[in-house]
Amino acid sequence: MNKLPMKMRRRRPQGEMNGFFPLLFVGLLMVSLFSWQVAALFVVGLLPTMVLALTGKGAHKAQKLQCVGFSNITGILPFAMQLWDRPRDLSVVVLDPINLVAMLGSAAIGYALLYVGPMIAAQVLQVMAQDKLKQLTQQRQALLELWGPEVLGGDESDAPEPAWMQGRRSSQD
Amino acid sequence: MVDFSAPLPEFTTEGGDAFKASDKERPGKDVYALIHHPTVPMRNEIYRSLKARPVANMVNPVDRGLMTIEQGGRRQRLVTIFERPAGGALFGPDGRVNPRVNTNRLRQSVVLSALKAIAALHKRGFTHRAILPTNMYFVSNDSEEIHLGECYSSPPGYKVPFALESLEVAVAHETARGNGDAACDFYQLGAALQSLYFGEQLWRGRDRDSMLMARVNQGSFWALGGGRDIPGALGTLVRGLMADETEERWAAEDVLDWFEGVGKPKRTSMRAWSMNRPTNFKGVAYVDRRLLADAFARDPREASNFLKSLDFPSWVQLSFRDEILSERLENVLRVTSDSSNLGGVRPDDYKMVTRVCLFIHPTGPVHYKGYSLMLDGLPSMIADAFARDDRDLLGVIHEILDERFLTSLTEICGVKHPKFLAHVRDVRPFIAHSTSKQLGRGMERVLYGMNTILPCISQRFSNVWIGSVKQMMRALDRLAASGGGKNILLDRHVAAFCAAHGTDLEREFNKLAAAQNDPSRFNSLSAEFFGLLQRRFKLESLPNLTEKLVEGLAPAVKSLKNRKRRERVNQLLDKVKKGGDISKLTSEVNMVRIQAEDAREFSQARNALMKLEKDRVLLSRKIQPTDPDARAAGLRGSRWVAFGAMVVVGFLTFFPGG
Repeated sequence: MNKLPMKMRRRRPQGEMNGFFPLLFVGLLMVSLFSWQVAALFVVGLLPTMVLALTGKGAHKAQKLQCVGFSNITGILPFAMQLWDRPRDLSVVVLDPINLVAMLGSAAIGYALLYVGPMIAAQVLQVMAQDKLKQLTQQRQALLELWGPEVLGGDESDAPEPAWMQGRRSSQD
Repeated sequence: MVDFSAPLPEFTTEGGDAFKASDKERPGKDVYALIHHPTVPMRNEIYRSLKARPVANMVNPVDRGLMTIEQGGRRQRLVTIFERPAGGALFGPDGRVNPRVNTNRLRQSVVLSALKAIAALHKRGFTHRAILPTNMYFVSNDSEEIHLGECYSSPPGYKVPFALESLEVAVAHETARGNGDAACDFYQLGAALQSLYFGEQLWRGRDRDSMLMARVNQGSFWALGGGRDIPGALGTLVRGLMADETEERWAAEDVLDWFEGVGKPKRTSMRAWSMNRPTNFKGVAYVDRRLLADAFARDPREASNFLKSLDFPSWVQLSFRDEILSERLENVLRVTSDSSNLGGVRPDDYKMVTRVCLFIHPTGPVHYKGYSLMLDGLPSMIADAFARDDRDLLGVIHEILDERFLTSLTEICGVKHPKFLAHVRDVRPFIAHSTSKQLGRGMERVLYGMNTILPCISQRFSNVWIGSVKQMMRALDRLAASGGGKNILLDRHVAAFCAAHGTDLEREFNKLAAAQNDPSRFNSLSAEFFGLLQRRFKLESLPNLTEKLVEGLAPAVKSLKNRKRRERVNQLLDKVKKGGDISKLTSEVNMVRIQAEDAREFSQARNALMKLEKDRVLLSRKIQPTDPDARAAGLRGSRWVAFGAMVVVGFLTFFPGG
């Protein structure tokens, strides 16, 4: 009954729809069917990703989540293989600080990638822009040669008006 | 060969000046040359007929052609060579009658010779309308026979003295008497015989209005002769020929009967035009309808006030008892009484006077704003108005060329003047042109449309005779060689002449008129127009005109924005210039299309350049990691790096050995 009017309802920004987290959840459920220990390891190890999934906002949320998620999984995968072979080592693997640093640190690498990525991209784009600029300058020069400086439109005010325009103006005066 | 030092005033007409000439091919043959005035339309159909089959007892044309004469500057004029009767004019230009003229000769040979010529002309469907004592010549010094002078160099009855024209056409303006009919010729013959009999210029020194009054009241014979009779058979003949009622006037059969001595004298009556009650207008009591119509016509303002002041239906009933003024006719005449009594003359009042005049004198001319004209005399009247640059008269003619007005006049004439409807039909196609201000139309188009034989009378061609589009193109080629002919198509006479002599040229003139303030476009359209004419009239190469047109296209070429196109067009123009083929100029270098294409592509190039500039500005700035594009690309890249690492580590974990 307290529904907001249509125009007041917030719309989820386009491109933010992401199946990564539900997929991950379903994956964990399936893994738990074969080895609940491995699933438990993933739950513990993917904590940074889950925090980001729950707290993350703003533009490119999905891409950020995927980036951190993939990095985080990368850090968990070697330990998951170890637990698959010896499921009883769950407490050993989980409680080992080195392992924890490795798993959570991989998420940190993901965050680092998020920071570095745009910087590198900016550099690459800058180089590409220079090339494009060179091309555009050549095109501009070709057009100027073909059509003369008039094509720039800057000398219009200097050009004499056609007679009919002058006639019309004087008649309006 | 024309001897310009020997003018022949006795053969000079309103249409041209006569000079002595000699025929190199037939040295013995007597001929004279008539140098035509360009502003007087000729009767071309008569020339063709007489040239093909000469008429006996008539001055027949031998040939005609354009000639460059050196009188008052070098001028090209149309010259017609006529057979020259060597016996001299019956009535000389000095006002003296030929000593060989006497009553016997008049009765025995002059009448018969003239009759032969007139009858032959009538048989071919022409009227002479210039049977004047000054236009009759003895064939030779010892011959009894006479020749009638030529009648082709000027329109029928053109500037013929009032007294020498039959009453039905005499009241019209001297330049607008129309074709008339056979009866008009017989009247002229009678009047000419009368003048010759008395040996006086009976038409000279007579006031038009008093002469008209005398002719109507006493009859033309008595009025012209000043009350003097011609005794004997000749008098019977002249009286018969000069009868004012066309039904009573003698025709060819009557003259033949008279010649054979079996003719019975006819009496003339004057009752047909009498009113039942005199009408007082401007202090004069009028009893004759023709005189009243003429009096109204001479003072239309006063006539309009007079008509508005009276009860028109009652006046008609009392004055014209034989007339039935039906309700319909009353509506057509539209004589409105001036209830406001302001006394002013409205524009329609002049037309009201015209309608009433035609009602009173249905076979008479159309009287409008002081001018009187037979509708079939309109072509020569317009020609004369243009020759004298009489703008007032042209304005009057323009007002007469009104569909509704002419229809109302036709209804008023009805069966009393059946030819009037035919004349209106002839005039109707020109009504639309007269009201238009467009190039190639207007009164100039009416002039050339009605007088197809008239040369182009533009001031630009004052020294050249332009009788056809072909001649005009050739003259333009010569004019171009001497550096003239700029903007020639903006000349209303040239445009109208081309439109009248060509077909479907209105559209081209509309385009030219629209482009007259844009010189480059105008020159392109001019070239296209001349190309069209050259193609249509299958003209030979016109190198000077082509060169001039190519020069005229220079601004258009210069205005082309595309450098490559400009160079290409210049090359093409240089090539075409050498050939002299204007149609090729337009087919190979369609400047209008090229200009349009250039303008379109220039606009496209301008838009492209604006977009380029915008892109250049965007690309020139420093790209920051925070820029949306860089950020999106960076995050996308980071994700793929993370995904790649995951795949590699996963592969290495699950397949350690491999």
